[in-house]
Amino acid sequence: MNYLKALTLFLLLPSFSWAQNATVSGTIRDNQNGETLIGATVQATGLGKGNASNEYGFYSLTLPEGTDSLELRFAYIGYQTLLLKVLPKGAVKLDVQLVPVGAILEEVVIKANALDEKRKSTEMSVSTISTKEVKALPALFGETDIIKILQLKPGITPGSEGTTGLFVRGGNNDQNLIVLDEAVVYNANHLFGFFSTFNSDAVKDLKVYKGGFPAQYGGRLSSVIDVRMKEGNNKKISGTGGIGLISSRLTLEGPIQKDKSSFIISGRRTYADIITEAVNRSNADDPEYNKIPRYFFYDLNTKVNFTLSPKDRLFLSGYFGRDVFTFKDPTFDFRFDWGNATGTARWNHVFGPTLFANTTFTYSDYRYKIQNQIQGFSFELGSNVMDANTKVDFYWQPNNTHTVRFGANGTYHDFVTARLQAGSDDGKIRFEAGRAYDGWESGAYIADEWAKNRLKLNYGLRLSMWQNNPAFYLNAEPRVAANFEANKRLSLKASYARMNQYVHLLASSGLSLPTDIWYPSTEGVKPQISDQIAVGSSYLFGDQILVTWEAWYKWMQNTVDFKDGAELFGNNDLENELAIGRAYAYSPLELEIEKKEGRLTGWIGYTLAWVRRGKFPEIDNGEWFAPRHDTRHNLSVVALWDAKKWKKRGKDKSLQLTATFVYTSGYPAWLPSGRASFIDFPGAQPQFVVPLYGPRNTFRYPAYTRTDVGIVYKWKNKKGMENDLTLSVYNATDRRNPYFITIAVETETTAVGEVPFEIRAKQVSLFPILPSLTWNFKF
Amino acid sequence: MKSIHIQNLIVITAIALLASCNLTKDVEIDLPDYARQPVVECYLEPGKPFRLLLTRSYAFFDTLGLSSNFLQNALLDGAFVTISYNGQTDTLKNQLTLVPNPIKVFNYVGENMVPGTPGTQFDLYIRLQDGGEIRARSSMLPVVPIDSIQVEFSEELDSLARMLTYITDDQSQENFYRRILNYSSLDSFPDQDFLVTDRFSQTASIAFGTGYELKVGDTVFNSIFHVTRDYYDFKESVDLAVIGNLNPFAQPSPIKSNVSGTANPVGIFTVLVYDRDTTIISK
Repeated sequence: MNYLKALTLFLLLPSFSWAQNATVSGTIRDNQNGETLIGATVQATGLGKGNASNEYGFYSLTLPEGTDSLELRFAYIGYQTLLLKVLPKGAVKLDVQLVPVGAILEEVVIKANALDEKRKSTEMSVSTISTKEVKALPALFGETDIIKILQLKPGITPGSEGTTGLFVRGGNNDQNLIVLDEAVVYNANHLFGFFSTFNSDAVKDLKVYKGGFPAQYGGRLSSVIDVRMKEGNNKKISGTGGIGLISSRLTLEGPIQKDKSSFIISGRRTYADIITEAVNRSNADDPEYNKIPRYFFYDLNTKVNFTLSPKDRLFLSGYFGRDVFTFKDPTFDFRFDWGNATGTARWNHVFGPTLFANTTFTYSDYRYKIQNQIQGFSFELGSNVMDANTKVDFYWQPNNTHTVRFGANGTYHDFVTARLQAGSDDGKIRFEAGRAYDGWESGAYIADEWAKNRLKLNYGLRLSMWQNNPAFYLNAEPRVAANFEANKRLSLKASYARMNQYVHLLASSGLSLPTDIWYPSTEGVKPQISDQIAVGSSYLFGDQILVTWEAWYKWMQNTVDFKDGAELFGNNDLENELAIGRAYAYSPLELEIEKKEGRLTGWIGYTLAWVRRGKFPEIDNGEWFAPRHDTRHNLSVVALWDAKKWKKRGKDKSLQLTATFVYTSGYPAWLPSGRASFIDFPGAQPQFVVPLYGPRNTFRYPAYTRTDVGIVYKWKNKKGMENDLTLSVYNATDRRNPYFITIAVETETTAVGEVPFEIRAKQVSLFPILPSLTWNFKF
Repeated sequence: MKSIHIQNLIVITAIALLASCNLTKDVEIDLPDYARQPVVECYLEPGKPFRLLLTRSYAFFDTLGLSSNFLQNALLDGAFVTISYNGQTDTLKNQLTLVPNPIKVFNYVGENMVPGTPGTQFDLYIRLQDGGEIRARSSMLPVVPIDSIQVEFSEELDSLARMLTYITDDQSQENFYRRILNYSSLDSFPDQDFLVTDRFSQTASIAFGTGYELKVGDTVFNSIFHVTRDYYDFKESVDLAVIGNLNPFAQPSPIKSNVSGTANPVGIFTVLVYDRDTTIISK
């Protein structure tokens, strides 16, 4: 740790310039509901000094001490800019509340230029998604999903249609650190990945890092997806909800003690099972009737927060979600359920005008269980991963030149992999399998953002450690990002980051399935390592359009794959099924054109990229191959147009038109190249067409194109209740996109049995045109 | 234990539904070039002649070997085939043989019967007309007999019964079994067919069951094959290859063969040992 101390001193030495300075600090919030605002800017007009609120809404600005008042400008996109005068003397505590420009008929005059702030930031390879965007855009079955909107950002591909898979800059689906209020969500999916676990009514915003990772993050190679739950309205009781095609949602929030504490509770549940159960009941007397299995999923988010003192805030939040699939008849009782539970306790403390601390305890649990009871016999199979994590983060801004972040965390991981218990009730027959592991993961980091004239530099170091007796790994992860403001419109950026990943998802397919197993690093399975370098530029056209170009190269070591024909279930020696290799990905062109203001908003994203995996001794003789998420061209266009606003019989009304367009080059696929026939055992049916698979992924599907459109009709009644009807049309052109190609074999009866007479390739599409209507309300 | 196939069933059902929604269509695709390989299948059955099927694989869309040409174009004739055991070597004649009930086809047949002594080691050698060679080895395992069969009628479903088949497993070593049930005849599609390992069994007794689906008068052909690890791996890989073509979520698998040589073959050479019971369901 000595060199961490040395680095600390090195980072902080330039900051000890104790000139006569004043510091203005406080919290920036929404004045309607008291929610803290992340990334709101504060600027001393005329001095060219400014800063932004951190992820807890805290800001700090150092000013030269004086006897004249200075004007401070507080701004945030979607809010009216606030100008305040302060006397810069000593430590000034200044909490501010911004007024949202949310009323339907008001002209939207947004002063904050979020795009310019983004251009000036050292952060690169970052996207932020607001729930406002998410709710307006067309969605599959009308289920708005923040993760699926994320897939429309450049550098991110879904892997398969309709799913919430995230393959970020060539990384695998398990290389994303998804945190909800700082607690890791291990499987952020429902229904085999078709919906994410994030109920957009409960989510405040989402930020994704695709590269240039800040030092406070670690543990995954390819992205950090930071999801923040709403805190709850501390001004008045309010609610939101919606009734959609497959689920309904309801959220209630309000003050526990006005302006001091608040709560929010939000739930979502699908209801197809209510219908199927009714159908089953109505056919209960029909002996020929085949009962429909029951399936549903639900989410519950809760959060309370308390302002304990002017310097202390306490947050408690939790998430619980489950998917449940059951089938029961007199002799057969089958249940398959899976889901996440997370809990967060967070304490914000302001030590002084320049030092802010956040201490967090989190708990995460993901598990699946398959149970079956057949008279006299039972079967149970399950896996789970549990984390208990403590971390402390400090945010110190000694002056406007330096913003220092430092902290540490420790996580205890507990894994149970593929635990099987089966046998007879009398105990005469018993099968058991499965292993338990644990591991300690910890990290310590320090980083400084240094700004001088037109150059901003964010440099830091993270030390990460993993212990899983007898395995022990200690790794240094340097991080650096720079922004050079070439002129008032153009910024040049560069970054480098190393990441280590100590837990690995053993997924038998490209999709996220509930039965995928999380597996720890051991002596045999070393931590995955990635290095990523990126360069880019941002150019602001006018004050409304930001064009960002990035080029990146990422290389990864110790990546995990399966040997051919690996057995995942009921296997006590999973390591024997794994292959360890390498991967790399690069893009000379990752382009995003964003427009966040005006009646027409949205973005265009394009990525030209290559991804390769290889050097697995047991796969294709170590040759490099293209993984399924290697798609050459990815284009997405997202548009939201505020078409019309009017007033009728005292009711405010508006109409918004939305559309998304996606083009993706064909996915690689592993199709058979040959076929063989096997007569098999006596009593077994001969198999005349057994596919013979050669090297992996030598075939590419046709390109994928989809257009979705939506109409959002909003109205506010006289009592102030806001309503909207959202019509979503998924795949509006009814295009048959390839989801899967299967080889169909037609057979005929001959003297030697059923033999093939025709073999054809069939393309299977998943979704035709799918309109859906959702009613949302807010009171 | 055998892999859980619930997801596969769900997916295959979903694909059938998609087909009914007009979401499937024929497409022309170009697959990579493929060099045909010899395919060996040889199950030595004690007390029966040495028999082997030697065929060739096809490029996936090759129209050769379809329909009436199936057998004619698949068979790989003219090879020199020997099987050595107990210090002697038998040469198998290239002779097409159809064995009825159930129908099985062989194109190399020996004159001697397969000895029935567990532990006997068999070595296969094949030299093709083009000079390519194939070799394989397998040993005979002991039969694991069926200890008992219980037929139990459901209290809720009065007329339906299930059948429980018990064996005693040798826990001193890892064993692999294939269980095949045929409800009407051995020529029918199996009503149950799976592989299992005793790797996780905590008891010597192992039971194989059925659902409550048997009626009085039903005939059940109940076969427990004691198979080698090589065969278990081969059959698992065949199943995965078939499922991989049907299920977009499944990882396809190349065939894990126990035949090797310069001819680049695929296939299996093993000894078949099994116990079979025929039960007629009665109350």
